[in-house]
Amino acid sequence: MKWILFFGALIGLSICGREKFFGDQVFRINVRNGDEISKLSQLVNSDNLKLNVWKSPSTFGHPMDVLVPSVSLQLVKSFLKSQGLEYSVTIEDLQALLDNEDEEMQHNEGQERSNNSFNYGAYHSLEAIYREMNSIAGDFPELASRVKIGHSFENRPMYVLKFSTAEGRRRRPAIWLNAGIHSREWISQATAIWTARKIVSDHGKDPAITSILEKMDIFLLPVANPDGYVYTQTQNRLWRKTRSHNPGSPCVGADPNRNWNASFAGEGASDDPCSEVYHGHHANSEVEVKSVVDFIQEHGNFKCFIDLHSYSQLLMYPYGYTVKKAPDADELDKVARCAAKALASLSGTTYQVGPTCTTVYPASGSSVDWAYDNGIKYAFTFELRDTGHYGFLLPANQIIPTAEETWLGLKTIMEHVRDNLY
Amino acid sequence: MPPRGQPPPASGPGGPRPAVLLLAPLLLLALQGVAAAPAGAGGTEDSPGLQDAELQRGLLQQAARAALHFFNFRAGSPSALRVLAAVLEGRATVNPKKECQVDLVFTTDHYNREPFCLIPKSLFQDGEERLGKCSARVFFRNQKPRPAVNVTCTRLIEKNKRQQEDYLLYTHMKQLKTPLDVVSIPDSHGHIDPSLRPIWDLAFLGSSYVMWEKTTQFLHYYMAQISSVNQWKTNDDAVDFDYTVLLHEFSTQEIIPCRIHLVWYPGKPLKVKYHCQELQTPEEASGTEEGSAVAPTELNNF
Repeated sequence: MKWILFFGALIGLSICGREKFFGDQVFRINVRNGDEISKLSQLVNSDNLKLNVWKSPSTFGHPMDVLVPSVSLQLVKSFLKSQGLEYSVTIEDLQALLDNEDEEMQHNEGQERSNNSFNYGAYHSLEAIYREMNSIAGDFPELASRVKIGHSFENRPMYVLKFSTAEGRRRRPAIWLNAGIHSREWISQATAIWTARKIVSDHGKDPAITSILEKMDIFLLPVANPDGYVYTQTQNRLWRKTRSHNPGSPCVGADPNRNWNASFAGEGASDDPCSEVYHGHHANSEVEVKSVVDFIQEHGNFKCFIDLHSYSQLLMYPYGYTVKKAPDADELDKVARCAAKALASLSGTTYQVGPTCTTVYPASGSSVDWAYDNGIKYAFTFELRDTGHYGFLLPANQIIPTAEETWLGLKTIMEHVRDNLY
Repeated sequence: MPPRGQPPPASGPGGPRPAVLLLAPLLLLALQGVAAAPAGAGGTEDSPGLQDAELQRGLLQQAARAALHFFNFRAGSPSALRVLAAVLEGRATVNPKKECQVDLVFTTDHYNREPFCLIPKSLFQDGEERLGKCSARVFFRNQKPRPAVNVTCTRLIEKNKRQQEDYLLYTHMKQLKTPLDVVSIPDSHGHIDPSLRPIWDLAFLGSSYVMWEKTTQFLHYYMAQISSVNQWKTNDDAVDFDYTVLLHEFSTQEIIPCRIHLVWYPGKPLKVKYHCQELQTPEEASGTEEGSAVAPTELNNF
């Protein structure tokens, strides 16, 4: 039948060539006889209307589905009415439907990211995180490896994942992603392990991460304070510090983010072992900190250091130990603003940007200040979700949304580093 | 700035304690228009104006928080709690006694709405505005607690509706099986059973009183967790709720356990008694709503 071939040709038209379909509708038109067929063919043939047939009727009595661009809606409706053609609108806004599906897909993708039983939308034990790190390295041996960089006070291993496309060359410019230094900030460790899986999954597919890894290595430490993390799981959910012993004091632990050699024991730290911001006996007294310092110094070629914390939704750069402006503050501020914007683009989560000291509070001996003063120019601190409603006890159903938006911010920073290697 | 009237804690291994948390003098200097010119070589000089702006912004935030805690407490309605959305404008002045008066205007959002829900911010629900607006005058008494607050807010929820919701909340509370089979709210994974949500909201209301009293120019609090429910009684004319809450103080990062006892009935003013453990000092602070003397709290800067 001629008209079937006729419509068939039109179906071949793909929807490509137009990116968005805001307000476009899909009409289901009843086709009862040959007369109605010829009327419809007039409509569909019209160049101006730009209709797109999705399904042609295989026989009389079966409907035709056609995509009508929003600009043509009025004309098509009047035509159908004037010709006495019966129709119904089956999709009222194609773009909305596509967006919805996209969202769902991404959601499922997020849940199913691992092919084993690791649920990225939940909080996990230290053992489970370490196992998953091993699993990631095992799944992508050409790209990822799990490296022991030291041990904690209670002798737990400190593992990083190294992502590298280089073979044999050990000293590519590198990025350090630090997480979980304050053990109660669980969204930090959770975001880190999600990010690890994201890096390996997207490499070779996402041009951004692929090009970043072409030029640089990424080192990811998801649990910078393993003893503290175990303690939050077993004894005290709100534990912050390490679990080292302080001679002469009943109080345990030092704040590992006041223990770095950057204005150590200065403003914004305490010399009281019972304080949550106790800086420790001396710089690098905490073995967890020393392990990272030694590794980075031995490597010698880090260009970027990012520390993940919670909560407050802030993206900050040096300094914490002084109000004095860092020499690169202007550039870091611009990068941070770009990153915050990228982050917000996903779900509207707003981050404030600024130097640590005035954005949150003075803090001496911090990791990011140390990194910066040791030649690692692109040094940033993220304070992840939320702004105080749940605080440290962020519900697990926010892990994946947080990780996904943070990823956009991280990529912005890493892309800038890639394009501005020094 | 060293704490007054207090024996200094034992020196650390390094000898006499170094100065800590010097945000206070920086803040006051900035407000008095003196540039905090840093000593030492290297780095670019800041424009004092930029620092001032940051410190001003911080002070306005503090004032907004204090005002909101006070407002929530006075409103006495667990279904109409508000959170800070944004500070729109404000002005702070410091007197020679280093007391701080802040006048400000800020917007508020509903506390009870589940954050990060899928409803876009631009959508109004039932024709009501999402954001409320408040103007306040807050007087901080140089690190002493109990800032004086004068605050008025636009009505976010219509009065009858609010009372209805409160009463609904109250009936839900009465249906809870006692003794309550809970340890902490939320649990470690941030989960609050929907049936226990009213408890959280009521606890937040009681905590608002405590957090208002304890907020200063430099200290501000969040309610981190209900660590225990000691007593939960509902009878025909009140909810009698005795619980321990963990408050998170942001600038010191300390967790402060507070025992709170409140009595609430929809539409009636909230009665609160509390007793917080001040971890850093030997003294303990307590306060009541009914006008009895509040022991001044000497808080360590660290």
